[in-house]
Amino acid sequence: MQLFLFVFPFYCSSSEDIHQLKYMAANRPRGGSFSRNLSASSTGVSHIPGLKHGPNGTMFLSSGIPDLDKILGGGFALGSLVMVMEDPEAPHHMLLLRNFMSQGLVHHQPLIYASPAKDPKGFLGTLPNPMASKDDKSRVHETEQEKGLRIAWQYKKYFGEQNSEQRDGKSEYCSDFDLRKPLERHFFSGQHIDCVSLRYSADLATFRERCSSFLSQVPRNIGNITGGRIAIQSLCSPQCEYSNEEWEMLSFVRSLKSLLRLSNAVAIITFPPSLVSTTFSKRMQHLADTLVSVKAIPDEDKELAKLLTGYQDMVGLLSVHKVARINTQPLLAVELYASSGSCSVSSKTGPTFS
Amino acid sequence: MADWICRTLRDGGLEGEHAPALTINDTISCPLGSFVFDHILSQLSSFICSQKSHSNGIVLVALSRSPLYYEQLLKGKGYDVVSSSTWFKVLDCYTDPLGWKSKLVESGNIGNLSPRSSVTVSLCKNVKDLDELLSSILELGKELSGDGRRRFVVAIDSVSEMLRHTSVSPVAALLSNLRSHDEVSSLFWLLHSDLHETRATAALEYMSSMKATIKQMVQPVDGHKANSEDISLMEHYLRRGKLCVHVKRRNGRVRMMFEELHVEKSGIKFTSVSSEDEITAQSLVPKVQFNLQLSEKERNDRAKVVLPFEHQGDGRTIQIYDGRKSLNDGKAKPNPLLYYNSRKKKKKKRFHCLRVSDDRRIDSNKKPADELKS
Repeated sequence: MQLFLFVFPFYCSSSEDIHQLKYMAANRPRGGSFSRNLSASSTGVSHIPGLKHGPNGTMFLSSGIPDLDKILGGGFALGSLVMVMEDPEAPHHMLLLRNFMSQGLVHHQPLIYASPAKDPKGFLGTLPNPMASKDDKSRVHETEQEKGLRIAWQYKKYFGEQNSEQRDGKSEYCSDFDLRKPLERHFFSGQHIDCVSLRYSADLATFRERCSSFLSQVPRNIGNITGGRIAIQSLCSPQCEYSNEEWEMLSFVRSLKSLLRLSNAVAIITFPPSLVSTTFSKRMQHLADTLVSVKAIPDEDKELAKLLTGYQDMVGLLSVHKVARINTQPLLAVELYASSGSCSVSSKTGPTFS
Repeated sequence: MADWICRTLRDGGLEGEHAPALTINDTISCPLGSFVFDHILSQLSSFICSQKSHSNGIVLVALSRSPLYYEQLLKGKGYDVVSSSTWFKVLDCYTDPLGWKSKLVESGNIGNLSPRSSVTVSLCKNVKDLDELLSSILELGKELSGDGRRRFVVAIDSVSEMLRHTSVSPVAALLSNLRSHDEVSSLFWLLHSDLHETRATAALEYMSSMKATIKQMVQPVDGHKANSEDISLMEHYLRRGKLCVHVKRRNGRVRMMFEELHVEKSGIKFTSVSSEDEITAQSLVPKVQFNLQLSEKERNDRAKVVLPFEHQGDGRTIQIYDGRKSLNDGKAKPNPLLYYNSRKKKKKKRFHCLRVSDDRRIDSNKKPADELKS
């Protein structure tokens, strides 16, 4: 294993700068005829944990929920704005935010979190911990195996190593979270975590400044990318003073979006559409690159129990309305095998979708 | 389910959780909200007096009714008003909400007009300043005696009155502050939803964990002029209503419960819903129009159809039905297909089938080989 780490950087520095536009051969899956040619070695080396290459020159970071990543075609694209429409009767958006934030902390990505609570830091205590036990064992087993196997180094990348690399990459890219356990302290230390309370802000100007300085730390076109995360909970919550000023909120979101495009970060904003006017809600939905909504399900509903298997375990429904299209016009051929899925949260694992 | 609500409010929230909050919603078509409010207040009082509750007392913010009313309510339920000061405090925002009377008293124009009340009352002179209101509520809560951890229930009589003086954001902020305060075990408030914009009502319901809506009972439509019978019927219906409760559960699901309520002189009574089809729960299941089950008639017809296959499965000799001949023995069951064919025979129509290649001969310009080229 150590041999590889020594050798691969030679590939990295050369290939990162070379993005060749090349006429596509027919056997390349997904995307149109023209696409950036990322040479094989650099795609084999997703050396940045937490980020992976997507189609059309985009990079993705994980939402923290493996099934949601699959539905969205890889995750959230860097530089995109994700909106979650809340259901006032259920706190499912908090689940999405928790997984998003935990994933960022596991990958050591800087994070800024804003909420209408007086003390947003309290929310960090509810973040789930990744499930570690099973993966560790299998990883240890594999490295032992590889030591015994001696293949010349330039051939290893075509055999077995790639599989294990991928599996490592997969478990690194998106972790399975255990909702029962809070996130371990070592993930919090030495991290860029900023918590902002929006309760007493009369307008969003100061928050906008903070976001702008945060995003300038993760700009594009610089070699060392980490990806940053912004999580804003319940933007239009009625307790906040600015909640009556709709144009103020819209211009904040618009400027945030323009700042995001120039950076390597993803922002999630949740808002309750039933508490704002329909025109505002529509405008917010159009501003989003990826739009998702959550909905509560009634309890002890016999008809629903007949219709849906696993009704007992389900807590809510998640619908994907829009998926980000960056650097492309046609809709990506993502694996949207269900545009709305049910989310089940068992006490052990994180949310899964069916 | 009023008892269920009272028990939930009595138990309060778990550690680290926001306090459960109830919105009682009514409209002009069924204005029985204040009765429900009184009922819940008296139930909680009984729990507290009999030491069954985790809370030590109730702080009532009286905006739409005078503290005297509550004193009489407690007396009517049999509580000793004098000793109630240990567990029942009233913040009087009814007598002088904007401070006008006290200004008049100061200037000497009028004497002290506020009636003496034996219930411990703290006067609030500025309803518009909700921060001050919050601190007054918390101060009153502190005065409640209790061993160990002090927790109290907050009751707000008519948030609608509060919304008269201020906008939704400060009221929502006040409610949210109360919910997240350690010493508040639960809270409930009354709201007349048709007095406000939908956004204001939606915001307040967003703040609450339970919503009890009082709806009108379905009345028989009567187009005639009112006569004495009708008036008594209307009165009868005015005192009845339907209570629909939406509860946001901890696991994120929504529970809906229904009950009928009936206001009488002695108080209010709740009965469970009589008919099942009254329960129109908001269903996510799409209503399908077609029915995959066959009716009796359809099933019989299906049994009668003779299939043109070899094995007709009823023990008779195999008869391959080829559409040209009718079955010549009279034993055959009347068969819709047979009928059609026999009718067809009588008319002696013949279908002349053309093969496709025959068609092509008509268009003799193209040779077959040419078609392959193009």
